[in-house]
Amino acid sequence: MAEQRGTVGGPVLTEWFGRANLHKLEVYEKLGGYEGLRKVVTGMSAAQVIDEVKASGLRGRGGADFPTATKWSFVPKDHPGPKYIVVNADESEPGSAKDRYLMENSPHALIEGAAIATFAIGGHQAWIYIRGEYDLPYEKLRDAIAEAHAKGHLGDHPFGTDYPLDIRLYRGHGAYICGEETALLESLEGKRAQPRSRPPFPAIKGAWGQPTAVNNVETLSTVPWIIRHGGAEYAKRGTEKAKGTRMVTVSGDVQKPGNYEIEIGVTYRHIIEELAGGPFPGRKVKVFWPGGSSAKVLPGSMLDTSTDLDGLKALGTMGGSGGIIVMDDSHCVVKGAARLLRFYAHESCGKCTPCRVGSNWAVRTYERILANEGSQIELALLDRVQQGLQGGRCLCGLGDAAGWVIQSTMNHFRNEYEEHCLHHTCSVEGALIHA
Amino acid sequence: MSALSSHLLEEIKALPAKYPQPRSAVMPALDLAQEELGHLTPEAMSEVAVALQLDPGYVEGVATFYTLFHLEPVGKHRFYVCTNLSCMLRGAEDVVDRLKAAIGVREPGEVSKDGLFSYEEVECLGACEYAPVVRLDHRYEVDLTRGKIDSLVNDRRLVRSHVKTGVRSSLDTTPEPPRKKPVRRTKKSG
Ligand SMILES: Cc1cc2nc3c(=O)[nH]c(=O)nc-3n(C[C@H](O)[C@H](O)[C@H](O)COP(=O)(O)O)c2cc1C
Ligand code: SF4
Ligand code: FES
Repeated sequence: MAEQRGTVGGPVLTEWFGRANLHKLEVYEKLGGYEGLRKVVTGMSAAQVIDEVKASGLRGRGGADFPTATKWSFVPKDHPGPKYIVVNADESEPGSAKDRYLMENSPHALIEGAAIATFAIGGHQAWIYIRGEYDLPYEKLRDAIAEAHAKGHLGDHPFGTDYPLDIRLYRGHGAYICGEETALLESLEGKRAQPRSRPPFPAIKGAWGQPTAVNNVETLSTVPWIIRHGGAEYAKRGTEKAKGTRMVTVSGDVQKPGNYEIEIGVTYRHIIEELAGGPFPGRKVKVFWPGGSSAKVLPGSMLDTSTDLDGLKALGTMGGSGGIIVMDDSHCVVKGAARLLRFYAHESCGKCTPCRVGSNWAVRTYERILANEGSQIELALLDRVQQGLQGGRCLCGLGDAAGWVIQSTMNHFRNEYEEHCLHHTCSVEGALIHA
Repeated sequence: MSALSSHLLEEIKALPAKYPQPRSAVMPALDLAQEELGHLTPEAMSEVAVALQLDPGYVEGVATFYTLFHLEPVGKHRFYVCTNLSCMLRGAEDVVDRLKAAIGVREPGEVSKDGLFSYEEVECLGACEYAPVVRLDHRYEVDLTRGKIDSLVNDRRLVRSHVKTGVRSSLDTTPEPPRKKPVRRTKKSG
């Protein structure tokens, strides 16, 4: 039986992790779970809930860092029909596993958070869209929702009130693009998952044409803590503008890969070397993706970079989904980038030409390079393609992300690209080239 | 003779009522069909379309978009092998090679002679801290090595009824529930 790898007993999200059977309602509740939801439905107005979350400074953890309270306040108050919270549990960004870790350990925290959010936007139903491969988290959520209904925390009269609250599950079927919120909504409506053009934004016209706020698993799992302890308490942690704690997944060439809860503002050195045990003996960190495969890479010389979201933005990269992928000096950057481009090309939904065509061009170019057929032409081609993918030419962020992988790896590791293209050798993974 | 059993078609007809709009039932319905047949045949898809009062072309369009719907026959036990970056750094290529040899196939999608196995290379499974990872029989198998691959394959060869009794994943830390009625999804591999 594999142990859970990551923080237990952390400051916020993982506070109760490690307690036996935390996924059971009885245990979760004994520790203080559902206090937040009780407080909200029995004694607060929707506006007060939004204010409390605003005071916390919480920003979305799905990748875009958007302030959560602001997103909720965009949902019209006077809308006559249904309004929905849609939980983005599609987690498919390479390098990111933290939503799975949260759902497996504490499904009730997500359910409680989703219920509070539903109340805050004046809705009555939340839909959790969970990726199809997540069987175990799905089963945990399914059972936890049933428990919450049986206990009367959800249903027609949560905590004895007359404010109906319901949470439903919807399983995805394997498509990274479903993580993009408008593609997710299309999929939830039973369609091929192709992003919508905006406006209208989901807050006005979202799931089934109704006002909707789409929130990430981690974002909502944080909300019960904020309601229990107050927004101001949460805001004591973190940096000036990026408050609180967040989950990061560290994977790749480290000794202790895992999902760690960190206070925003600690350095990548702290995460990679201390929490994740650093590289293997005799190896050093060559490069890391600071926030999922879609965040521009940083070289090992920049390990002292802070996890402050705005600081990362200033560097041209992002905290993104929190997936930190570490590559040491025994691995070839060109080969890694080639693998990621194959991912983006495979997952492109095909709606915009630059993304569909550009990503496939890049894949074929990388294939030639790795087959020792590269030249000056391939270098120039990659450069052209990455420019074409970026800069808002595409409808959603997937196209940009594909471009950033090429651009940022070429920028920091031009020497490795040149070695492959011009000298047909790889001093890092020699075996690859002679194969 | 229809491709899907009549009780399943009844179940599918009841699905639309569960959603704010009936169209959302299309994927759950395809799920049920795939569970019953192992993969989605053209007949099955058009029966789903009829049951949901949708255009058959539309249903097929949805089925072809998502990688977890299989339009070709698959092995009883299907390995979804993650070969994305974090798994690649931890030896996913080796895992694929070993797996191919262990089940005796040359390429993804090919079904082993005994019909028991097939494999597919997939993108990140969201369990990168356990790399390399595969999804098998609705559970994740983690920290893969050549030896682990061999035993996953051998166990299933030896005990063909293994899945029916419920395979425990190494990631599953919950106590085993009493299994009077097996969960539908764990009955067949898809
Ligand atoms: C290509 C693409 C993939 C995405 N994948 C995910 C995902 O898997 N999970 C997620 O929560 N957000 C994902 N997002 C971000 C969502 O579109 C959206 O911003 C997020 O779910 C909002 O929740 P938050 O405000 O709580 O972060 C993705 C965005 C893009 C462009
Ligand atoms: S950028 Fe790519 S994935 Fe996004 S909408 Fe366009 S084609 Fe689809
Ligand atoms: S890269 Fe394999 S599980 Fe994430």
